[in-house]
Amino acid sequence: MKKLTKEDIMNVDPLKKDLGKSWIKVGMSTCGVAAGADEVYSTLIEESKKRNIEIDIRKCGCQGACSVEPLVEVNVEGLPKVLYGRVTKDVAITILERHVRNKKLLHDYIFEIN
Amino acid sequence: MQKKIIYLRDTDSAQQDRINDFYTLFSNELRDANLQEPVQLVKIADIGLYEKGITVKILPENIVYSGIKNTDVKRIVEETIKGNKIIKELLYEKKSKQMRAVLKNCGYIDPESLEDYIAAGGYKALIKVLLEMKPENVVEELKKSGLRGRGGAGYPTWMKWNFARGMNSPEKYVICNGDEGDPGAYMDRSVLEGDPHSVLEGMIIAGYTIGSSKGYFYIRAEYPLAVERVQKAIDQAVSAGLLGNNILGSNFNFELEIRLGAGAFVCGEETALIASIEGKRGTPHPRPPYPSVKGLWGKPTIINNVETLANIPKLIAGGGAKFASVGTEKSKGTKVFALTGKVKNSGLVEVPMGITLREIIFDIGGGILNNRAIKAVQTGGPSGGVIPQEFLDTPVDYENLSKLGSIMGSGGMIAIDETDCLVDLAKFYLKFCVDESCGKCAPCRLGGYQLLRILEKISEGNGELEDLNKLKKISYAMQKASLCGLGQSASNPVFSTIRYFEDEYKKHIVEKKCQAGKCKALIYFKIHPQKCKKCGLCMKNCPSSAILGSREAGYVIDPQKCIKCGVCFDVCKFKAVMKE
Amino acid sequence: MTKKDKLQADLEGLVKKWKDKKGNLIMILHSIENIYGYVPRETSLKLSRLLNVPLARIYEVITFYNYFKLEPPGKHNVSICMGTACYLRNADSLIEEIEKILHIKEGQTTKDEMFHLDVVRCLGCCGLAPVMMIDEKVYGKVKKNEIVDILSKYVKEEE
Repeated sequence: MKKLTKEDIMNVDPLKKDLGKSWIKVGMSTCGVAAGADEVYSTLIEESKKRNIEIDIRKCGCQGACSVEPLVEVNVEGLPKVLYGRVTKDVAITILERHVRNKKLLHDYIFEIN
Repeated sequence: MQKKIIYLRDTDSAQQDRINDFYTLFSNELRDANLQEPVQLVKIADIGLYEKGITVKILPENIVYSGIKNTDVKRIVEETIKGNKIIKELLYEKKSKQMRAVLKNCGYIDPESLEDYIAAGGYKALIKVLLEMKPENVVEELKKSGLRGRGGAGYPTWMKWNFARGMNSPEKYVICNGDEGDPGAYMDRSVLEGDPHSVLEGMIIAGYTIGSSKGYFYIRAEYPLAVERVQKAIDQAVSAGLLGNNILGSNFNFELEIRLGAGAFVCGEETALIASIEGKRGTPHPRPPYPSVKGLWGKPTIINNVETLANIPKLIAGGGAKFASVGTEKSKGTKVFALTGKVKNSGLVEVPMGITLREIIFDIGGGILNNRAIKAVQTGGPSGGVIPQEFLDTPVDYENLSKLGSIMGSGGMIAIDETDCLVDLAKFYLKFCVDESCGKCAPCRLGGYQLLRILEKISEGNGELEDLNKLKKISYAMQKASLCGLGQSASNPVFSTIRYFEDEYKKHIVEKKCQAGKCKALIYFKIHPQKCKKCGLCMKNCPSSAILGSREAGYVIDPQKCIKCGVCFDVCKFKAVMKE
Repeated sequence: MTKKDKLQADLEGLVKKWKDKKGNLIMILHSIENIYGYVPRETSLKLSRLLNVPLARIYEVITFYNYFKLEPPGKHNVSICMGTACYLRNADSLIEEIEKILHIKEGQTTKDEMFHLDVVRCLGCCGLAPVMMIDEKVYGKVKKNEIVDILSKYVKEEE
């Protein structure tokens, strides 16, 4: 990696990374991983390839709602940003099909906290 | 019409099926109004409100209605969804109780990406410090901010830094205390795992301020993921030139290294932590001299908690005055708590100082599990105390908590309900401290052990009233005479439970009763003859053949043979086995 | 390579890596424990010579910290979390249950060296209390009656 300069840090557009793009984030801290976030993350990666669903899937830290881990945050253009809790492998696949592809939110897994 | 999404949630915990009926009703209304296409109706799992009836949230307008009756649905569809008008009497104006500063990036950025951290505004504070500020300016900002140590004692951070800065020594050290040993707290782990660069940035700024060129991360070995992520962050920072020589073109050099803890609670105490980094047994030393004068390898050292350091970049970037605009008179900024115990939504919360305990437990935590009554809140872990429910409206800050006999601590907050026994809780914490006492000084080593023995005696039903005085006396002696913070505070759980719940102790001592049913020696199992359906399941499962009887005559428990394992209580499907 | 040679090579590598860093003893012990699962006595003896530190100094550190073990662990390490959150959600009943199933007490290893039982401090997953960890895998919200199934999975794997 090249050494960063003052300009590199001061001139980043903070919105560049997120805005307008569709992404999925999986909370991968200890409690998330303990609750099965690893499996959810790899399911999302594999299944999105298999089903030809194009979406940026990333890891992130703890969202704080530990009792409902694993947590998956989904941002799809035209829909509100949604936090899903207690996500299993099956739910992860449903998120891809229903939420990402068909733009319909899932029942019973959304947590509107904070 | 613009597309809308409507969230539905029944916030009353008792009613289970109501929401499905409501959903059907609502979707029928939408169908009749021909709005099925543009409006998505979604049942969700949590809407952030509790015990406020059926609640809906209409997006993108973000209108929240609560306490909705079936008869309101038509109006909502007509007036709000079609007519874009807000119905005032249903409106719930929710103010967010949480305030995310330290946790802002956790769960937002990829913790393994330096690019993400920079995109979220990271390392701007470092630039400001290196290129525009002198060390004394940094101290000045810290002083203005009123930031106090988040590790427990709440010592003003600027004073610590200023002492070390004033020392004339070619070698100085910065240590990040990530030895989060309080059982039931994991704020530091989450920050290290979710946003490691913010702590790094805080440490580099600390190094620049006090004139140090070497820092240590001291992290619990029990947190392998945190260790891995911090190491990655250090490697990234080195290759990006944010660590090493001439950082960002300045003439400031700084390097960082990880040292692992090895499972000793006492190493959270600063002098013990220093001994541990030096590769020795983690036993504390008397202070003074304070570490800022004579610390690691005998050189001036500052030790800051993870959360304190994670506060630094935002504090510098936004200025001390802005930081000080949040909080109470003497406690500024936000605090992260690990909310656990008998609370519904256990997890990490970050709140402004000055919020009440009630708001944290009920508005954020969603109240107590199974709708039981709350009995107390424990803060500060094994060094803290309990705060009974009558003080739930106390604003949380350093002074208020210590006035109530507890401490802010590192941020463990545990809700205790009516089924928890406080004698048992005191015993639990004390056992922890006895296990963790390093043994160097007598008040802690012997006092803790004696306290534990007396508590065991009480919970076994052999307590005498005189024991209460003994507990108080020994506790007091430990507070006054122990060498380090661990010993001085080890008796706090005992002190504070006696202070507020002396009656409960007396019940154990005089009536030989444990109302919560926790102290095994004081409970008895009985089979309620009316409720018993004579299925015999309890007899089949009893490991000590203490249940006598037959399917015709019914069953009884022989108290002589009963070992109080509770299996019969667990297996009975008719709740006929009772604990007394 | 014989076991003895490997041990020698391991240690020399570690000492080389850490020799110039101050206060390296704990970090070297961590590495040893990572390789062997405990700190064998031979390694301490060798380490004492390589670092020129008295054996007593090394043992004083090993015995002070909970993390270092002097006995080899079982094939599978079962840790029950007894942090406050787990304690309040009845982790003690999990301990009792495991002790009953495996016929060992806390800190002991089963006769077939299959399981080692430890009661540990907070694993940092309080939201999932009560928590049990077997080797690296964490089980959250464990119920007493699930334990037999979980343990037997590990036994079956061996067969």
